[in-house]
Parts: sequence; structure tokens; C-alpha cells
Amino acid sequence: MSAESLGLSNLEYHVLLALAAGPMHGYAVKDAVVEESGGALSPRAGSLYRVIARLMSVGLVVETEPKGEPEAHPGQPRRYYKLTARGRSELAAEARRLSRAAALATRRLGAAHGRSW
Amino acid sequence: MKTTLLALIRTFPPAFRERFGDELREQVSADFDDARKRGVLSLAAHVAGATWDLLSSSVAERVRPTWSAFQYQPPESDGMRAVIEQWVRDLRFAARSLGKSPGFAVVTIGTLALAIGVNAGMYSVVNAVLLAPLPFASPDRVMSVAASAPGSGFPDEFGVAPEFYVHYKENSKLAEDLAMWSGGTSTFRTDDRVERIRMGFPTNSMYSTLGVQPILGRLPVAEDEERVIVISHRLWQDWFGGDTAVIGKSYYTSGAMRTVVGIMPPGFDFPGRTLLWVSGDYRAAGITRTGDFQGQIVARVKPGVTPEQLANELTALSKQLPERFGGTANYARIIEQHRAVVRPAREAMLGAAADPLWVLLGSVGVVLLIACANVANLFIVRAEGRQRDLAVRRALGAARGRLIQAQMSEAIIVAAVSGALSIAVAAVTLPVFMSSAPENIPRLENVTLGPATLAFAGVAALIAALVCGLLPAVRSSAPSFARLRESSRGATRGRTWGRDALVVAQTALALVLLIGSGLLVRSFSALRSVDPGYSTEDIFTFQFAPDNPNLTDGPSWSRFHHEFMDRLRAMPGVETVGIVENIPLNEGTGTAQFITETNGADPNASVALRLTFSAGDYYKAMGIRLLRGRTWEPADHLTAPGSVIISQSAASLLFGSADPVGKRIRLSNDSVWATVIGVVNDVKQDGFRDVPQSVAYFPLIGATPGSWRITTPAYVVKTRRAETIAPDIRAMIREVAPNAPMYRTFTMRQLERDSLAQLSFTMLTLGIVSALALVLGAVGLYGVLSYIVSQRTREIGVRMALGAEAGQVRRMVVGQGTRVVMVGITIGVVVALLSTRALTTLLYEVQPLDPTTFVATSLSMIAVGLLASYVPARRASRVDPIESLRGD
Repeated sequence: MSAESLGLSNLEYHVLLALAAGPMHGYAVKDAVVEESGGALSPRAGSLYRVIARLMSVGLVVETEPKGEPEAHPGQPRRYYKLTARGRSELAAEARRLSRAAALATRRLGAAHGRSW
Repeated sequence: MKTTLLALIRTFPPAFRERFGDELREQVSADFDDARKRGVLSLAAHVAGATWDLLSSSVAERVRPTWSAFQYQPPESDGMRAVIEQWVRDLRFAARSLGKSPGFAVVTIGTLALAIGVNAGMYSVVNAVLLAPLPFASPDRVMSVAASAPGSGFPDEFGVAPEFYVHYKENSKLAEDLAMWSGGTSTFRTDDRVERIRMGFPTNSMYSTLGVQPILGRLPVAEDEERVIVISHRLWQDWFGGDTAVIGKSYYTSGAMRTVVGIMPPGFDFPGRTLLWVSGDYRAAGITRTGDFQGQIVARVKPGVTPEQLANELTALSKQLPERFGGTANYARIIEQHRAVVRPAREAMLGAAADPLWVLLGSVGVVLLIACANVANLFIVRAEGRQRDLAVRRALGAARGRLIQAQMSEAIIVAAVSGALSIAVAAVTLPVFMSSAPENIPRLENVTLGPATLAFAGVAALIAALVCGLLPAVRSSAPSFARLRESSRGATRGRTWGRDALVVAQTALALVLLIGSGLLVRSFSALRSVDPGYSTEDIFTFQFAPDNPNLTDGPSWSRFHHEFMDRLRAMPGVETVGIVENIPLNEGTGTAQFITETNGADPNASVALRLTFSAGDYYKAMGIRLLRGRTWEPADHLTAPGSVIISQSAASLLFGSADPVGKRIRLSNDSVWATVIGVVNDVKQDGFRDVPQSVAYFPLIGATPGSWRITTPAYVVKTRRAETIAPDIRAMIREVAPNAPMYRTFTMRQLERDSLAQLSFTMLTLGIVSALALVLGAVGLYGVLSYIVSQRTREIGVRMALGAEAGQVRRMVVGQGTRVVMVGITIGVVVALLSTRALTTLLYEVQPLDPTTFVATSLSMIAVGLLASYVPARRASRVDPIESLRGD
């Protein structure tokens, strides 16, 4: 199953983007997505975990052990997620695509010398 | 409100819920709490949005699932770790679930531990006796050389003569070094002990050929001229307590005083159980007579030389012998037919012990297979009980590999525990095995439970885990969603093939072992009924070594022995007393060349006979029949000229059909004639399997007082008290010769038992093993049929409700069992036809393909099969139709 053939939705892109910062648990992913999308995305529980499930199923994200972080809620073990190597390269490819699209838009709108990403 | 939201999570598919349920709940709950803090309106909006999110997501998840349970996660950076963690989880779970069914755990672990333990013990024996390298330098290059001469009338295989050794050693290009040796028992006397012990008589080159050095002292050199001895480590320990002062001391050894010059390393006992070596040398000039085929040759070949190459070279060299050394026409004829027989030293030294040990290892291996089959069967039954659970998990998307792994975990735990326990089993069974093993197995004293045993047990446990766990796991994880619908008493037709196959295999293997032990039992009874030419009933034999300055020559020794026989005869309960130099079943006799007066003109037309000495009522005591003439009278042992008694086949070799009594014969290297006074039966000297031997018995006195001195012959006492008379005789010896040791005390019964030990030991062990196999096989069949009956209760109930008779039901079940058993028996007979050849060297007057044994054991196998089927069949025929239909 290849990620390219499926394409990445906006939410999937932001989940991968959030996890690029390092392993985190589900709720932290949600907070990061809200913040990094400037509030444009505020995934609710069902949508968020279906996205995480799909990213895991296609091998872009795996569950992992928390790395040295103190447990947020002692007694309630949390599942942490992180990017796989493929997840990282998919994210990079998607970012390049978005960046090219953004550059194209910038050029067409008249601001000709945008920095390439 | 929050509760309602949380309840909506239940609308997700179970697989998704199982994995993400906790996180969903946590986030739904946290989001709810956040919204409530922002006010009622915000909360209402949140609830609406969250409800929509959960419902739409759960529908979407059902329509386009993103998650299925146990899906494969591609191994990434921590893939190995994930695999290990999964195994740890599975093993923990398996351990818990085994703990909940202790009966299952005990039976499977017990069966496997016993089977693996016996195998590990047997492997230790094979490893120490057969697989460990011989204690020589580069043992693979050491080869044994014997001779054969097809069509010459000589035995299939015989020794070599000194001229062979001299010629080979001078001319062989393929052999680096060669040694000739012979061995036998002879007297060794220290200050406080005297015995006839096993000695080697090699050439000095033996030490360099085998590449061994003494741990103390030096090796003999040519200048020593047989006046020195080298002793084994064992003799050094047993007789001298490891005292280094023994070097340089002289002891009476095989007819002369010889000085100890060296002590060999532990374990060196070439050519087998030899305690000391008297070495000398042959020189070409010293060879005056050819064809004295008394020795064996051991050679060290150059690297890469095969036994065939050496055999070809030595065969070609031997053709030059008559030209160089001369010899008779008969000798030339033998040389013409002569072929060197070369085999690796390992094979020559261990060959006799190898067959029985491999057979036993193979048979305990078969028991391990049968045990695995039984345990696998139990695992299948256990898996059947989980069919619904497994089908559910599979329907939920569990990968087959994951289910197999989960199922294998129990088998792995069972095998691991069994493997550990098997060491204890081996530690218990090995000493029992060793103490009952025949003494002539070489290197048996080296057997220990070592790293090799542990490794073997480990590997056996691993294989057992695979065999026991894989089949049930693969079968039960097969996709069969139909089972979800099926009631627990559904039809099982077509689902028993795996178990049937196991029973077929068990039956076949058990039958192979039964046939093997049947053949051995028949051989044993044939061997027991052999007439060796003497009796073994009520006979006690011993030797003692008087040391008396008056005993100087043949006649004085002869008188001493006769007086002592008189004393023995006077003991209560003693019927008859005699003397012989070499007691049958204990010592072999020497060989010598004889000539008669008629063929005396040709010094080379001699006849080879066994040579020994006897006196008193030896023949009567041993039950050896006198065929012609008379046996000894005291006068025969006191005055020359000598007389001689010969055995029946010796008589026909020497004189054909003519009456030998009164005729004269002499040793070909002696000039004094002896008159034949009687002819007695041939005896099987070395064992019941031997051909009867042609023997010449001389009296205790030779032609002149200096001819020979018979100092420590075996006394033969016929008495009902054979088992208990030893202490009385010991007391009497103390009266005659206070310091003389009494030794080699046996009853003939005991010697007979010992001589049959290799066969009886193998037979008994194989018998126990095959009985075990039979029981395990029967239990396996019983288990399968019981299971089938319990699964078909409903069907049987319907049949009986429709009017089937109890007898018909019984026949149906027994028939099913019989079919499986018959297939097993057919396969077993085929396997046995191919494999009983391995027993050939142990069999006696029974063919490896003996039809009687095959038929009898197959019939008893069928009987056991019927019995094992009958119990479940009876249960089936008692099925109450009403009961069986109720309950679904």
C-alpha cells in the first residue's frame, strides 16, 4: 500500500507534521494540529483517531514508547505515536508539493521572487 | 450528557474500539470538560459536533475501515523490539493459560520431559562412546589393516603375519607409519596382587603410529628388547594408587620380569581395555617361518589417503611376499587370494558397540516422535475448544501469523519446561542404563552429562515445540468463519485428518519398534537354546596365585594343583573338580600349528588348532562329552612322555575319519610327540555365536620339567553351591597359601549371562522402549476416537433414534479406528522392511525380515488398536438419543 496512491488529506498532513516534532500521545497531537493550522483544523476524537489509525495502517506512523517524558497522568498509561522513516519522507514530499503550489500561487499573484522552500 | 457521548464510542467496530477506545474516551471526556468551562452554548455546540463526529466516524469506519486487529506493522527502526515484545506478551499469556489447566500441563510436560530425557541420556552415551574422537593424534588418519582371502578356506577375515608388517613398513608409500599388535590376557604380579589382565603386545612403532606420548617416563626403544613395559593410566591408579615411584620397578609380566618405563595418558587403552603393553620389534632377518597370521596392523596414512587406496597398495605389496620370504605352496595360494582389509580405526575399534547403540538411539528417537505426536494431539484438542474464540479473532482481522504465534507460545513453554526437566530425567536414567550396560562397550566410563547433552536436550525441545505446536496452530488458525455459526456440537467430518495422520504415524513407529524387539527376543531365545558343548549349570570357577619357593618347575606345579583339587573334592557339596587354562566364555585360547606322524614329512603341512591345558575331571565337571578313548588320569600329569586329548573337529582335521586314539601329534616347532588318549566334544570357547572350536588339550606337565609351568589355571568346581561356595574356598586357600590372592571368581551362569549381555541388554532396552511406544500409540488412538465419538454424539443420537442398533454403532466406531490402525500398520511394515537390517549384527538364526515376527507383532498391534477403539465405541453405543439432541 503506497501513501502516494492514497494521497494525504489536510488533517493527515497536519498529524504527520505534528509528529515530525517527536513522539507524542493522541491528545498532544490534537493540540499541535490546532495550533499549527492556526485554528483552521480542530479535529474531534473520532476523526482524529481514524486518521491516526489510517496512517498506522499504511505504515507512516507507529506506536512507540515515550522517551524519558514523565507520565502526564500517572496510573493511566498513554499510547505514544511517532513517524516511521516512510512517514517522514511522505511528509517531506507533501511539504515540497505544497511549497511548489504556494510558490506558483505567489508567482501568479505577482510577487515573483519568492524563496524556494 | 457526557455518558451519552461516551456510549456513542460503542458504535465503532470492535477492532477499532479495542485499539483506540481508551484514547477516544479520554479525548471525548477532555473535550467535553473544556467546552463546559466555556459556557452552556459552547457546550451545546460541542455536544452536537461531537455526536456528529462520533456517529459519522463510526459509520465511515464500518464502510471504509482504517483499522483491523493484529494487522502487520512493517518492521521499522524498532521492529525487532516490537516482535520480541509481542512474543513476551504471547508467552506470558500462554503461561497464565497453562497454569489454569494443570492437568494438560502436567501430562504434556511429563510426556515430553520423559521422552527428551531418555533421548538426551542415550545421546550422551553415543556421544562419549561413538562420536568423541579417539585419543590419538589426528585420529582420522589412523586405520586398521586385516586380511581376507576369499575361497582359501580361511575365515572371512583374519590377521596378518610378521612378514606382512616388515614388508609393508619398508615399502608402503601411502602409510606414514605402521605398527603390528596382538593382544590377550596374561599374568601380572606385584608384591601384593596377581591377576591375569588384558595386555597388548605391539611393535614399538605403535606409539608413533598412534601419535601418543606417556604422561610419565619414556617409551620403549629397540634396545629394551621386550624387557620393559608401559602401563595404562588405569592400571597405574588401580594397582599403584598413582604412585610415581612405580617407574623403574620390575614386575612379573607375562612370563618374565619386566621394568615399568612409562605411564600412558588417561583414556588410552589401545586396542581396547588394555592395561599394559609389552612391546618389541620384528626384523626381516628374524622371520623364519611365514604365514603366522596372528597379528593386526594399525597404520597412520598420509593426509588424504583413503582406506581403499591403502588397501590396494597393501594388497599389491603382499603379492611380493612369497618371493621375498619363501613359504609353502599353501601359503602361496593364500597370498594369491589375499586382499588387505582396511578400515578407519574408529570403525574397527567401535564397530561392535556401534550397531546396538545406534539402534537404541534410533528407537528412543522414535519414542520422542510418538510422544510429540501425542502431545500434538492434546494441543489439537485444546485448540478445538477455542475454535469459536479463534474464529472471532480471525473474523476481526487478526492475521493468521499472529494467531499461529499466539498458539505456538503454549507449545514453546511446554517444550522449554520439558527440556529443563529432561536433564533431571537423564541424570536419573543414565546411571541405571550404565550400570546395566554390558562391560565390553568401549569408553563407557567416559559417559557424562555434559554440554553436548544439554545442547542435545535444547535442540530436541525446540524440535518438539515445533512438531507439537505448529500443526495444531496452523490447523486451528485456518480461516473458517463458518465456525462462528456452528454450534459447539457441529459436524466434524473432514476435520480429523491431522489427528488421524498422527495416529497413523504413531502406529507405524510403534510397530517398527515392536518388530525390532520381536526379532531380538527370537534371537535371544535361539541363542539361549544353543548347545555350546558344555554346561553352565552349578559350576563355580576361580583362579589363585600361590607363591611358594618349592614350586619351581612343571611337575612341582602339577603336583600342587592335584593336591589342591583333592582338597576341593573333599569339600561338602562338591561333586567334581577339574582344571583348565582358559575357561570358556571368559578367555580365548591360543592357537598353535600341529603335525601328525603321517604328514610330519612336510614341515609346512601343519594344522592350526586351539591349544590349552586341562586336568582332573574337567570334562565331567563342565559336561563336555567324551566321544572316544579316555580322559585324564593323574599319571598323565606327572610323567612324560605326554599325552593329549583332542576335540572332535580337531580329530577330523588331523586324521580325517580314522580313529585318532593312540596316534601321535606334536607342535610344529617342538620335537616331542604326544599320544592322543581321548576325543571330546567341540566347545564354543568365546561365545554362543561362535563356531565350535578345534582344540588340543595338554596335561599340566610337558616333555621335560622345563617345558612349561602351569601356575594359575582356572579351577572348575561342579557343585550345587556354585553361588555360595566362594567364601569357603577362600578360607581353604588361606590355609594352603596365606598370601595367595583368589581372583576371577565366576559362576558359569554368570559368564553365560555376561556373554549374552550385549544382546539381552539391547533386547531389554528396546523392549521397554517399544512397550512405551505401544502404550503411547494406544493412548493416542484412544484419544482420537474418544474425541470423534464426543463430537459425533448428536449424529449417533439421531442414528439411534432412527433405529440403529448399539452393535452397529460400535462397529462404526471400531471400524473407523481399525482403518486408521491398518494404514499405520501397512506403513510400519514397510518401514520395518527397510530398517530391520540395522539389527543384523545382533540377530542370531533369525532373518531381519522374519515373517513370523512381522505377522505376530502386526497382529498384536491390531489387537491393541481394537482394544483402544472399543472403549469409545462402547460409550458411543450408550448414547441416549434424547440427551444428545437436547442442549442445542
